[in-house]
Amino acid sequence: MEMKKLALVMATIAALGLAGCNDGDDGVAGTPGADGANGNNGTDGRDFTAVNQWYLAGQSTVAKAAESTISDPAGKAKNVILFVGDGMGVSTLTAARIFEGQQQGKSGEENRLSFETFPYSGLVKTYSSNQQTPDSAPTMSAIVTGAKTKDGMLSITDDAVRGDCASGQGHEMVSALALAEMAGMSTGVVSTARLTHATPAATYAHSVERNWEADSNMPAAAITAGCTDIASQLIDFPYGDGIEVALGGGRTYFMPNTENDPEYGSAGRRNDGRDLTSEWTSKHAGSSYVWNLDQFMSVDLATTKHLLGLFENSHMQYEADRSDDSAGEPSLAQMTSRALDMLKQNDKGYFLMVEGGRIDHAHHAGNAARALEDTVALSEAVRVAMEKAGPDTLILVTADHSHVFTIAGYPVRGNPILGLVRSVDENGEAAKTLSVDANGMPYTTLGYANGPGFGFGSSPVNMASARPDLNLYDVTDVDYRQEATVPLGSETHAGEDVAVYAMGPGAQLVTGSVEQNMLFHVMNYAADLEARAEANQP
Amino acid sequence: MFYKALMLLALGSLSAHGASVCPATAPAGAWGLEYQVSASQSGAEPRQVQLLRRGAQTALYSPEHQMAEWWHFEDPKRPGFSRVFDQQQRRIDYYMGDLRALGVQAQQEEVESFAARHLLGQLTKQGSSPCEHAERYQGEINGVSYDLLWSPVLAAPLAIVTRKGEVERRWQADKLLGKDAVNARFATWQRYRETDFADIGDMENDPFLAKMINQGFIEHREHAVYNDQGQPLATGHSH
Repeated sequence: MEMKKLALVMATIAALGLAGCNDGDDGVAGTPGADGANGNNGTDGRDFTAVNQWYLAGQSTVAKAAESTISDPAGKAKNVILFVGDGMGVSTLTAARIFEGQQQGKSGEENRLSFETFPYSGLVKTYSSNQQTPDSAPTMSAIVTGAKTKDGMLSITDDAVRGDCASGQGHEMVSALALAEMAGMSTGVVSTARLTHATPAATYAHSVERNWEADSNMPAAAITAGCTDIASQLIDFPYGDGIEVALGGGRTYFMPNTENDPEYGSAGRRNDGRDLTSEWTSKHAGSSYVWNLDQFMSVDLATTKHLLGLFENSHMQYEADRSDDSAGEPSLAQMTSRALDMLKQNDKGYFLMVEGGRIDHAHHAGNAARALEDTVALSEAVRVAMEKAGPDTLILVTADHSHVFTIAGYPVRGNPILGLVRSVDENGEAAKTLSVDANGMPYTTLGYANGPGFGFGSSPVNMASARPDLNLYDVTDVDYRQEATVPLGSETHAGEDVAVYAMGPGAQLVTGSVEQNMLFHVMNYAADLEARAEANQP
Repeated sequence: MFYKALMLLALGSLSAHGASVCPATAPAGAWGLEYQVSASQSGAEPRQVQLLRRGAQTALYSPEHQMAEWWHFEDPKRPGFSRVFDQQQRRIDYYMGDLRALGVQAQQEEVESFAARHLLGQLTKQGSSPCEHAERYQGEINGVSYDLLWSPVLAAPLAIVTRKGEVERRWQADKLLGKDAVNARFATWQRYRETDFADIGDMENDPFLAKMINQGFIEHREHAVYNDQGQPLATGHSH
């Protein structure tokens, strides 16, 4: 069974011409040019190194880069950690960087999120095989399987039809996480979204429909045809000794409709009578199931071999609201930290996927403040990983797709990123008044090209023909919804490239502009997942 | 039989309002009030709105639109909310963060009382009432005159009349719904296909959600005395 699956992924990769890293997609570097860091390029005898701090900092960076060597062989990485900010486009990164810096009492622009210090980065093309602007299902499938697919489908080749069970059978693509399990490595999936949501689900499940999270979400015909829901696939994961750590939300999808949720009292969503949480503890020796912060922090990681944590009925709380959760929830950094403590105990290495899942949702709501807070929370989780992971670990940080989120105007440096635009005067100093539009109205730095639009109230569509006077509102409030050009009930994804950052063995392969599916091949090359999986077969 | 305890009241010509139901005791378990909502000068037929209560759950249901707003106050500081669409047999569930991101704030007492609880403190209690088991309040707030018939046992209004200028709006309970009807409706709603509000942005290929996305999730609240901004709905339609 395992080898059959393994053969499938290898055949798929070969058929797509994506095997290895020699096809030019990895942007093999040309002959390096002069580094230009010695300050001797001027023609007037000036010492350029004495210009200012900007010049010196840039010179230092280039000097350090020149010292690095790039010769990691395949398999140099013992471990792989993949971070995904759902909907974390480049404009979100920039705004979150400034937001975090300003939270620390600084100007903000000079701040760097944890992963922005990584030595390698690149741009990632996110289109799916059938849409210019994708959803999370095909994008995460591309990242973890090595091939693009259609929107709405999880780790199924794109010759299947969304929602057609039979069309996907026999077309499953094996993920990096599955390969790691086959290789005897430990694996983990961590998300602030439901564990059955598209991004985490693509790592362990195959489905022609991302919404088949519980059996009650599936049409009877699909069940009859032999397709299974996503939650059950997590519990029934067939590779290796199963996923070691699974932490996130989505409790109701694991509970039968005859049981009530311990936090909310509502019934579970499973019609098949299965209690997947008890099945988890029955299936794995030395396993635990927890659903709140206290239970989670009390888990003995030295003796627990399999840990399932489901901290919300649906998605976990936004970071901005987390402290108000009645049952208590861990942060993304806490989940990452304890997941790594467990996974590191395996001498064969580990594969861990961590998703900041709610950046996307806050953007859909047109609520920039929550999106930025969750982006900073992801940065904190990466910081934990940087501290806990050794030099034998490849860490990738990327996004599945972007949002129509903009940073506009010419605000003076240090202007509150959530605030109204205050520009500079003719002397380059902070203007005394706010910048205004053609109607004399001020505007925020952050905004959306479409979405629910302005305000706090319960009428989310900006139906007014004129812009509101934002002088009358606290636009920096966490609940404020930024204005949107096109009124929609929900803001949409965007189609431009996202960023990818890399550190550790194999990180040098992350450079230039790449297809999203190339990221799998980076991980596969760096950790030699396929070869290790083959070698570990009986 | 609870219905035997109801007192039928005729509308008197000098009375601002009457009441068709006036329970002496609070019914055990679930119950509901069906209101006739009308406005003078609108020319429109009266509409029905139902207030359904069961424990910490309250729903405001429009039979005309077959839509409901269903609140869960098991934890009053962190209410749950669902928007129900009977015709499509669909439900949109909102969690705490969703409500906060949308700026939706709801007080349990106000939702449970048909958005009238706070009026008691601003109006003057009258010495007589057209209903033995109800209290009558009158007064003016922000230029709107109110005449409220309040049921202490239900903690809900039996009738409300607002007037501003020539425009009169009337909410009058004319039917008490029993627990079986209310439980059945809640059970039906619980079985509907549910979608978390946070997920609708990823589901534009769903025709129902696409329609909702394009139209927005507009909260009319026209059935309530006050809108969600705390403004009296005395001047007609309000968003």
